[in-house]
Amino acid sequence: MSPLLISLKVACWVTVLILPPGVLLGLLLARGGFRGKSLIETAATLPLVLPPTAVGYLLLRLLGRYGPLGEPSLGFDLDLLFTWKGAVLASGVMALPLVVRTARVAFEEVDPRLEGMARTLGLGRVRTFAEITLPLARRGLLAAAILGFSRALGEFGATVIVAGSIPGRTQTLALAIFNDMQIGHDREAMTLVAVTVALAFAAVFTVEMLLRKRPDVA
Amino acid sequence: MTPWLLVDITLPLDRFTLSVKWETSGPALGIFGPSGAGKTSILESIAGLRRGARGTVRVGGETWLDSARGIVRPPEARGVGYVPQDALLFPHRDVLGNILSGGGRARRSGAPRVDPERVLEVLELGDLRHRDVSGLSGGERQRVALGRALCSGPALLLLDEPLGSLDLPLRRRILPYLLRIQKEFAVPTIYVSHEATEVTLLCREILVLEAGREAARGRPEEVFIDRAIFPMARAGGFENILTGRVVEASRSVATVELEPGTRLTVAAQGQAVGQDVIVAARAEDLILSVHPPTGLSAQNILAGEIREIRQPEGGDGVIGEDGGAGQVVVVVRVGRLGVPLLATVTTQACRQLALAPGGRVHLVCKANSLHVLATR
Repeated sequence: MSPLLISLKVACWVTVLILPPGVLLGLLLARGGFRGKSLIETAATLPLVLPPTAVGYLLLRLLGRYGPLGEPSLGFDLDLLFTWKGAVLASGVMALPLVVRTARVAFEEVDPRLEGMARTLGLGRVRTFAEITLPLARRGLLAAAILGFSRALGEFGATVIVAGSIPGRTQTLALAIFNDMQIGHDREAMTLVAVTVALAFAAVFTVEMLLRKRPDVA
Repeated sequence: MTPWLLVDITLPLDRFTLSVKWETSGPALGIFGPSGAGKTSILESIAGLRRGARGTVRVGGETWLDSARGIVRPPEARGVGYVPQDALLFPHRDVLGNILSGGGRARRSGAPRVDPERVLEVLELGDLRHRDVSGLSGGERQRVALGRALCSGPALLLLDEPLGSLDLPLRRRILPYLLRIQKEFAVPTIYVSHEATEVTLLCREILVLEAGREAARGRPEEVFIDRAIFPMARAGGFENILTGRVVEASRSVATVELEPGTRLTVAAQGQAVGQDVIVAARAEDLILSVHPPTGLSAQNILAGEIREIRQPEGGDGVIGEDGGAGQVVVVVRVGRLGVPLLATVTTQACRQLALAPGGRVHLVCKANSLHVLATR
């Protein structure tokens, strides 16, 4: 498989898998007033500021033969290390903070009084969330998904440690660029860079459009 | 009649603790008071949107709140139609979508069915039904919010200054909709306003709230002549409210009969003969004369008798609190009119004319200073 396809596959899986917990966590942080909130907040931001290699190394130790999630401790093999699934895990962890933060802002911009109004009209909590909160936050949540996707697309440090850089199997765009550069394939590297720039530009541009304040979504 | 509404709540607020208790069997209760008196907090407590509210709320035989017995119904299980000051329309739905938002509850509740089509018609929203709510004017937004509340099958309507964000001419245009709603749908209503005219028009019973406590309660025409309450009403411009029927209409003026023998001439505003109307006369706009006046351009001269003369709070006619400086309120009974008319004059004029209770006076008013609202 080409690096582009591997990257897209990994990024798509990351988006699908981290969106539900990311949105839930964002909602919790936006609406919940509970003890330990700032602790969760900090933990959810950590991957954003840690060196990706540190996160990758931690995951490697966690999943390694003698780690708590290794085959001897679990009794079966998760089979994540040095596979594309490992790349999904690594870049997923790295992308989660962006999703949580963006989703949180999206929910914070929904006026809680609108939710109260929906309740007085007979809608329970769940229906209020589904019919009022979610549709009103949809642009921000879409932006969260795209940001998560783009972050996963560009992840390098954690991925290389957990998934390696196996051409045709785990070598994503970011890894392939590094590889081509090291072996002097400058033209190939440049082509891949151009592809990533195009993808990133499209993604970030879309997010900017989505998050731009529109007067009718006050 | 058995009371349909019992409210007995306390709620700590920033500057004071809200504490009110009343029960009523009347169809519409007005809550009147200056901004920041806690009016909105009462409505939010009844709606179940204030977690800190303690006490009892019973509506139509159902208990919504009874903190002593640990009963706190969530807002969705209460059945209020809440119209806040800023309408709070759902921005992602069109007009019809907003109006139908509470339709599910209306169907489940078994409440007398309110037909959304009828609501659109009464509120004149039919042509706007597929419009985006972001493009609506202030008055249209309030009407949509009213429609949404009505179509949710409410046991109780909570109207929080529904006209508060509108300018005066627009208020005057929306008021008839509220009157129509009262007539047509007959849902018990709590109406909050800092406009004496509005509460007087819409409610036969009002509660005056000041810093979280009841300052007075009763029929509006009785409460508002209270010397402690009148300055508050006056701040919003006190208006006498009279009801009558149009008996004559020409291009320039219309004649309204308030009761047999008592008629008012008002500037024509498109009234038709036979129409029921409400005439509002500002207390400041009424002139008093001790002799029958002649040769005046003013079209209305009503003979009456002074029932009492009230000095606003502050006493001795020196300085009243908010703008009542040197003013007295003269309460005049005219013929067999059900309500007394209030006129404000300066203490100096009161002295010069030697006004006193029991004295005969003539109330003079220009046709142009009477506001007319159609109710049908």
